[in-house]
Amino acid sequence: MNKISKIYTASSVPAFPPRPRNLFPVWLAATLAVLWLIVHDLEISFETLVYGVADMGEYFSRYREPDFSDLSRYLELMGITLATALWGTVFALVVGFFLAPLAARNLSPHPLVYRLVREVLNFMRAMPDLLLALVFVAALGLGPLPGALALGVHTAGFLGKFFAESLERVDQGVYEGVASTGANFPQLVMYAGWPSILREALGFTLYILDRNVRMASVLGLVGAGGIGLALHDTVRMFDYGKSGALILVILVTILIIDYASAWLRRRLG
Amino acid sequence: MSTISIESVTKRFPNGFEALKGISTEIAAGSFTVILGPSGAGKSTLLRLLNGLEIPSGGSIRIAGEALDKGNLRKLRSSVAMVFQQFNLVDRLSVVTNVLTGRLAHRSWVGSVFYLFRTEDMDIAQQALARVGLTDKAWSRADKLSGGQQQRVGIARALAQRPKVILADEPVASLDPVSSEEIMGLLREIRDRDGITVVVNLHQVDLAKRFADRIIGMNSGRVVFDGPPAELSPQALRTIYQREGMEHDNHLDLALAYA
Amino acid sequence: MTTISIWRWPTPNGLPPLPLVAALCAVLGAMWFTASLVEVDWVHLVGSLGKMAAFAGHFLVRPDWEYLPQLFDKMLETIEMTVLATAIAIVVSLPLGVLAARNATPHIVVYRVVRDLLSLMRALPELVWALVFVSAVGLGPLPGVMALALVTVGFMGKFFAEAIEVVDHKPVEGVRAHGAGWLQVRLFAMLPQALPDFVGTVMYILDHNLRAATILGLVGAGGIGYDLVMAMRLFQYDRLILIALAIYLVVTLLDRLSDQLRSRIIHGARA
Ligand SMILES: Nc1ncnc2c1ncn2[C@@H]1O[C@H](COP(=O)(O)OP(=O)(O)O)[C@@H](O)[C@H]1O
Ligand SMILES: [Mg+2]
Repeated sequence: MNKISKIYTASSVPAFPPRPRNLFPVWLAATLAVLWLIVHDLEISFETLVYGVADMGEYFSRYREPDFSDLSRYLELMGITLATALWGTVFALVVGFFLAPLAARNLSPHPLVYRLVREVLNFMRAMPDLLLALVFVAALGLGPLPGALALGVHTAGFLGKFFAESLERVDQGVYEGVASTGANFPQLVMYAGWPSILREALGFTLYILDRNVRMASVLGLVGAGGIGLALHDTVRMFDYGKSGALILVILVTILIIDYASAWLRRRLG
Repeated sequence: MSTISIESVTKRFPNGFEALKGISTEIAAGSFTVILGPSGAGKSTLLRLLNGLEIPSGGSIRIAGEALDKGNLRKLRSSVAMVFQQFNLVDRLSVVTNVLTGRLAHRSWVGSVFYLFRTEDMDIAQQALARVGLTDKAWSRADKLSGGQQQRVGIARALAQRPKVILADEPVASLDPVSSEEIMGLLREIRDRDGITVVVNLHQVDLAKRFADRIIGMNSGRVVFDGPPAELSPQALRTIYQREGMEHDNHLDLALAYA
Repeated sequence: MTTISIWRWPTPNGLPPLPLVAALCAVLGAMWFTASLVEVDWVHLVGSLGKMAAFAGHFLVRPDWEYLPQLFDKMLETIEMTVLATAIAIVVSLPLGVLAARNATPHIVVYRVVRDLLSLMRALPELVWALVFVSAVGLGPLPGVMALALVTVGFMGKFFAEAIEVVDHKPVEGVRAHGAGWLQVRLFAMLPQALPDFVGTVMYILDHNLRAATILGLVGAGGIGYDLVMAMRLFQYDRLILIALAIYLVVTLLDRLSDQLRSRIIHGARA
C-alpha cells in the first residue's frame, strides 16, 4: 500500500521497465521479402501487368454492346444453374444434418465416431467441387446432375463442420437438462441440439446456397451443366457481345440471390 | 424401504481432484432430504452421480434396488428427475415442449424425433403445468419467462417424467427470496401429495431447516452431519461450514448468525 | 380420425407450425419442379454406383513418382498465387473497408458507392474473372492472381467494413475527445478494435483462396488446376491420385492452422 503512496522527487521517478521489443518492422520486412520472392518466382512481369491494365479499359469496352438475341436460352441455362445449386444445397443440408451431431465433441456417442466423422467432413471440404464434378461427370456422364452432386458433397463438408461447431457451443446445461430425463441420442439431438442452433444453422445454409449459385455458374466448364459452358465457349470464340450478355445474366442473378439471402439472414438474426 | 442407497461412493475427476471421499447413506422413500454445505463441498457431484450424469470412481449406487450402471442408465434416469440451478431449459422451445421432454424416455424415438406426442403425454404435460401454475404460459417460448417461472417449468418437466425421485441442485440459488420460497414450497408439496422422494442441495440454512425432514451436512467431499433439522446445532453448522485448516472462524459465526 | 386424436404436435392446434410447413413445401416444391432441369434420374444414379466404384478402382495404381518434382512446383505456384492475391487484397481492402463502414465512412454516398462496388466485385466467381483476364493478359499465373485478388477484395472489404461497424463506440469517443483528427480516430480507435476480427477473416479467406486457386488452372490461369484437368482428360490416374492427395494435404493443413489461429484469437493468446 505504502509503496504506491510514496512521493517521488523528480530525480527518483523510476524509469520504465525495458520496452518490450517491437517485432512489427521485422515481420513487415519479412512479409515484403516473401511477397517479392513470390512475384519473382511466378514470373509476373510488370510490363505485362502495366500493358494489361492500360489495355484493360479498351478490352472491357469490347463488352460494351451485349448481344441479348439468345436471351431466352441464357435464362433457361441460368435456371438450370439455379436448380443445380438448390439440389446441391439440399443434399448438403441433409448430409450435414445427419453427420453434424456425430461430429460435435459434446454430443458424439463415441470419441472414435467423432474423429472418424470429422475426418470424413474434412475430406469432403478439402476436395474442390470442380474436381469432384470432373469425377462425377466421368461416372454419370455430362449434365447438371453430377454438378449438383459435386456441390452437395463439397458443401456438406462445410455445413457439417459449421453445424458441429455450433452444436459444441450450446450450453452443456441444456444437453444435461434433456439427458437427465433419460432421452436417447436422437432425442437429445432433436430436442437440445437443433432447436438451440436453428437460426444459426439456417443462416449458414443460406450462405452456402449463395456460394453454390456462384459455383454452379462455372461448373459448366467441366461439363457439369449450367451457364458456365456457354460462357466458356463465347469467351474462347472472342464473341464479346454474347459473353457480355451471359456475364450480365449471371451477375444480375447472383446479385438478386445475394440481396435476397442477406435480407433473409437479417430477418433470421 | 429406501429408494436410494449409496455405498462408499468416491469420485475422482480426470484432473485428479477427489470431490467425494467415500459417501455411504440411505435415503428413505418419500422423504424430503436437504444436502447442506459450502460451495465446493461436493453436493452437485453427489446429485449428478445419482442421475448418472457422472460415473462414480468407486462404490455403488442403487435406486429402488437397481444398481446404476451403463446398461440401465436411461431407464433409471427416467425415474430419477433432475432440477437444475440454471434451469437448463431449451430456450427456443415452447414451455409445453420443454415439459414434454420429460416424456421422451417413455416413448420410442420414432415419433418423438418428429416432435409428435401422444395425447396421453399432452395430458400429462397439461397436468404438470397446472401443478406449477403456468397453464397460461404454455405456448410461450421458455426464454421469455422470468427466472422463477423457468424454474417452475423445470419442475413441471420433472413431474412429467412421473419419477420416483426428484433431485434438485440448488434450485433457488439464482432466484429472488419470494420465488425461492415458492419453489421450495412446490417441492415440499410434491413430496407431501405424490410421495415422491425429494433430495435438494442448498446452501441456505434457514430454508433447509424449514423444509427438510432430514439434513445431510457435507464438507470437502465427506458427510459431516446427518440428522433432523432440530439437531442442527450451531456447533454442527460450524462443522459443516468450517474451512480446512481453520480452528475457529469469527466470520463464520457472524455469517451463520445471520443465515 | 383416430391417428389424429392419438398423435399431435405440441402447438395450440396440434398441427406443425405454419412457417415451417410453408418453408418446407416451398423447398420441396422447387425441387419437384426443377428435378427435370437437373436431370435427376434415380435409376441412372443408382446404376452408375458401379461405375463410380470402378472409377475409384482406377486410383489403385502405382503413383507416377516421376511426376513429383513438377507436382511440387505446381503446388508451390498455387500457394504463391494464393498468398500474393490475399496480400494485395488486404492492402486494397483496408481503406475500402473503412469507406464502406457506416460509422467510419466520410459520407453516406461514398458508403453506398463502395458497398455496391464491393458486391459487384464478389458477385462473379473467380473462374469467370480468370476466364476474362486470361483473354485480356494471356495465360499464366498473372490473370489468376488478378481474378483472385479482385474477388477477395469484394469479400474482404465487406467483412472489414462489418467488423468496423460493430466496434465499441466508447474508445472512439475517448480518442475523439482528446482532439484526434479524422484519420487518427480511424487508425487508433477503430482499427485496433476490429483487428482480431480482421485476422479471423483473413484466415477464412486464405483458406477459400487456396481452394479457388487449385482450380484456376482449368482456364489457364496458373496453379495445379491445369495438370489436374489434363490428367483427368488423359486418364492419367497415376498422376491424378498424387494431385488429389497433394491438394487434400495442403488444404487440410491450412484448415487446421487457421482453426487453431482463430480459436487462439477468440479465446485469447493462451495454449
Ligand atoms: N468436472 C470437474 N473436474 C474437476 N473438478 C471438478 C469438476 N466438477 C467439480 N469439480 C470440483 O469438485 C469439487 C466439488 O464440486 P461440486 O460438487 O460442484 O460442489 P458444490 O456443488 O458443493 O459446490 C469442487 O472443488 C469443484 O471444483
Ligand atoms: Mg453446486
